[in-house]
Amino acid sequence: TGVVPFVALLLLQRRPVAGRALLVSGSGCPSHGLCRSNVQEQTRRQVAVLNATAQELFSLYLKCQGEPFSSESDKLCNPAGIFFPAFRVNRTSERKEVMVAMYKLFAFLNASLGNITRDQEELNPTAKELLERLHNTTKTTRGLISNLTCLLCKNYNIFQVDVRYGDSSKGKSTFKKKQQGCQVLRKYVQVIGQAARVLLPHLSPS
Amino acid sequence: MFSRWNWVACAFYLVLSICSPDASSGLVQSCGHIIPESPVLALGSNFTALCILNESCLDFGNIYASQIIWKIKNRLVPKEQYREINRTVSSVTFNDTSSLATPLTCNILADGQIEQNIYGITVTVGLAPEKPKNLSCIVHQESRFTYAMTCTWNPGRHTFLDTQFRLRYRWPEQIFPDCIPKDVNNSCTIDDSQFFVNTEIWVEATNALGKAVSDPLVVDPIDIVKPLPPQNVSVTSGLLPTVLQLVWENWISDAVMTLKFNIRYRIVGDTNWMEVPPEDTASPRTSFSIQGLRPYTEYVFSIRCMKEDGVGYWSDWSEEKTGITIEDQPSKGPPIWRIIDTSQSPACWTVHLIWKALKPYEANGVILQYELTVRDKSSLSSPVKKYNVTSTNYTLQLREGTYEVTLIARNSVGPSPPSVLLIPASNSKAPVKNLRTLPKHDKLWVGWTAPNNYVLKYVIEWCLMSSSSDCIIEWQIVLGDVQGIDLKGIKPFKCYLITVYPLYADGQGSGQSVKAYLKQDLVTVDPSKTEYTLSSLTSDTLYTVRMMASTDNGSRTGPDFTFTTQKFGKGEIEAIVVPVCLAFLLIVLLGVLFCFNKRDLIKKHIWPIVPDPSKSNIAQWSPQVPAKHNISSKDQMYPEGSFTDVSVVEIEADDKKSFSEQDLKPFDLLKKEKSTSEGHSSGIGGSSCMSSPRQSVSDSDEGETTQNTSSTVQYSTVVLNGYRDQTPVQVFSRSESTQPLLDSEERSEDHAGGADSTPQRQQYFRQNGGQDETNTDRPCFERTKQITHANEGDLVGFVQLQISGQSSQPLGLGMEKNTQEAAVSNVLQTCTEGQTVRAETVEENPLSVDEMPKSYLPQTVRQGGYMPQ
Repeated sequence: TGVVPFVALLLLQRRPVAGRALLVSGSGCPSHGLCRSNVQEQTRRQVAVLNATAQELFSLYLKCQGEPFSSESDKLCNPAGIFFPAFRVNRTSERKEVMVAMYKLFAFLNASLGNITRDQEELNPTAKELLERLHNTTKTTRGLISNLTCLLCKNYNIFQVDVRYGDSSKGKSTFKKKQQGCQVLRKYVQVIGQAARVLLPHLSPS
Repeated sequence: MFSRWNWVACAFYLVLSICSPDASSGLVQSCGHIIPESPVLALGSNFTALCILNESCLDFGNIYASQIIWKIKNRLVPKEQYREINRTVSSVTFNDTSSLATPLTCNILADGQIEQNIYGITVTVGLAPEKPKNLSCIVHQESRFTYAMTCTWNPGRHTFLDTQFRLRYRWPEQIFPDCIPKDVNNSCTIDDSQFFVNTEIWVEATNALGKAVSDPLVVDPIDIVKPLPPQNVSVTSGLLPTVLQLVWENWISDAVMTLKFNIRYRIVGDTNWMEVPPEDTASPRTSFSIQGLRPYTEYVFSIRCMKEDGVGYWSDWSEEKTGITIEDQPSKGPPIWRIIDTSQSPACWTVHLIWKALKPYEANGVILQYELTVRDKSSLSSPVKKYNVTSTNYTLQLREGTYEVTLIARNSVGPSPPSVLLIPASNSKAPVKNLRTLPKHDKLWVGWTAPNNYVLKYVIEWCLMSSSSDCIIEWQIVLGDVQGIDLKGIKPFKCYLITVYPLYADGQGSGQSVKAYLKQDLVTVDPSKTEYTLSSLTSDTLYTVRMMASTDNGSRTGPDFTFTTQKFGKGEIEAIVVPVCLAFLLIVLLGVLFCFNKRDLIKKHIWPIVPDPSKSNIAQWSPQVPAKHNISSKDQMYPEGSFTDVSVVEIEADDKKSFSEQDLKPFDLLKKEKSTSEGHSSGIGGSSCMSSPRQSVSDSDEGETTQNTSSTVQYSTVVLNGYRDQTPVQVFSRSESTQPLLDSEERSEDHAGGADSTPQRQQYFRQNGGQDETNTDRPCFERTKQITHANEGDLVGFVQLQISGQSSQPLGLGMEKNTQEAAVSNVLQTCTEGQTVRAETVEENPLSVDEMPKSYLPQTVRQGGYMPQ
């Protein structure tokens, strides 16, 4: 059915496995005491961690799906046909613009990783390391969203960002589930590297 | 009258009220209630309770608030604390709840006399929770991706109430599920913590009296991590003998957390750790080369890590790994010395070259051999002699002269620097001066003053002086700038001879010696005394006594007096010998006592019971005594045992002709089965029968001995001279011998008892319990005849079984049941072993012993047998 667009409110922790966002409204920066000066560095470290682990995660994912994914990943995992948030920022972009793009990206990733984790728990329940890595990556994106929320709110008074999520894999065939995860993760590997590079000048300690 | 009925009705109503399970909705309602219901009160606060009576009770039972009394448990609350609010409500007030207890009851005095309970409540007294303090958290790494955060806090005072603690934490806009402590109230572990997010953590304590919240702790969990120690640590030796490389793996990727390290190491066997300077390992890495190590030495390594910036906790130390550095050349030559023996001839020396093995840190490997070179310095033309030695000594025969000895130790890498010892023809150089000793704790310090000339080295020799053994020399070499050393391993109160030789570049100084003790006693004696006893001396030790007389102007010592203490002190031998003798005597005494206590048992085995004829009632055996002699008690008659229960039926060989051949057949069969021997007896009674040298059947070869003995055994026997229709005559015969039966005889009777029949004489033992008047008409032999009706094979088997003592048991048991007397049973067993048929007789006539009439005729006895009178 294609991509289902959603509009989500910021300052909302949505269930990552859901294919759509829950709408919770809020005003003002929550828990202002937690938005400390180190959040910027924490965010950079989170992106760095994701960037450092993304390729390993993708390789392990392919390995665990078996054939034909392990041999024909280029063809099967081509992300051209799926929705993935555009990340059209660079080092010269405004910091605010970068933060918003980052938020959209990781909100999408958080949901997609939740779906992939759920599918792999069902399809490969014994692939302990893959599940651990998926779970860990999802956790990191969740923390990243929390920090980005904090930064957007504190620095730019942004309380609301339009977020678009991907397709839900629920009800799809095993192959389709594997393929969708494969496509998302491949794109994720590409984009997270770019995000890490972009974030470096913006979030480095001044 | 009315009042009484009224009271009864009231009591009935109250009982119903109290017993009602559901007072509010049941048919019978409670007469009142207390508010508040089951209160939880703060300790030390004041408290007021109200007892409210139901209107119905007022009308029915004439109960009013003025009659209410309050009780704590069974203790009456003072009435000063009551207040009657109206006719149905009474209150009680406590200024301090610490005086309260459970239950608090509202009671009423019906008619001013009978106390009835209206209602009761449970009062709980406690404290509100204190604010939890000192909240701190640590994140333990559990695996590569799993980090558990454990927080601890001080829960505060005991509240006496059920107090729930909750550890709560949140991110800026997300609160996570609470962590509820299990079994404790001061810590909780969150299984899944997330790095790089500021997390607010706090503790809430809640009970019935309130809630307290700790100060929040805001922390990024990455800053409180205690990582896992590095894994897969390995040690590899490099190209250099002083370097080892340590390689490991980290559990945490650098993207998450960069690490710094501590590396510690020690020599195997050593307990002290050395540590690589922390600044050398303060950056992320997975290997490190440790330098400055000793060659050919095994080291133990361990490593730990923590966050590079030092925020957090050190990991535990990793598992220890060992590695050995490679070998290197020995770092120095072995110390060498000589002992010259000129006892054979002053011109011909026997030179014992001795050297010390290099210490491991000097050898730097395994010493494969020592290379010894001896050069005669007196004669340049003499060839240099070389020896390869694997031990640490070598003996040479040399002519008197000057020699230079060079020693090299060699390992797999190379040789050591040479050690050179010059052996001069004479020790003509200057000796050391002022040689002296000084005990220092367990060491003996030896000091000297250097000669004026430059000394290369000093050799210190010392040996324990003993009257019983030769002086075994120990030695040590020190450098020339040393003028004193501590000698180790010196025994106290022992005299040592210490000699110091200076070694020069061109010769050797003569040795200077001194005798010294590590420890010796100094005793000050009263000048008026001229004797003193030395105590606490060691045995078999040479002592030297030196007397010194002192005045105010000085002291002067007399000559030394030496003596050796004895090996054993006065009384030591006695102290050893006397207890040993006493112990031996005690053991012997105990043995005698044991034997005495068990004499019956021992006697039974080696010295069978022999009747004492002097105690027999021979007078009563006379023929004049009526045949039915009235013996009231067997014990009275034969107090010494069961022997008297046995009698022997003796059938004269002469009477054999009166027996039919058929009757004698079984006994012939027995003869076939058994070897024939003389003198075997069967039981005591049997002994009497078999004491005759006549032949008897036995399955053993002990007949000869038995024969010799039995011929003189003293006992009595009843001899039956009767058969079948003849009137049986009981004849008692006795021996005059006083010699007891031997054990072999006693045993043999057990075996041979059943085969006693001989061609000349058939003897049967019988148990007197079965020998009543009726039985005398049916002697044992008659029963034997009955058995002969069986086929021959059966009979043989039967007899064999009897001999083995097995087949007779069921019969014997039957007898025992009948007689109920052990002694009788024993004899019966003998009898049954001897003649199984006897048991049958008894079975047919189960009379008791006391019931059995006894009739004996005395026997005359002559050597070699018993002849009936």
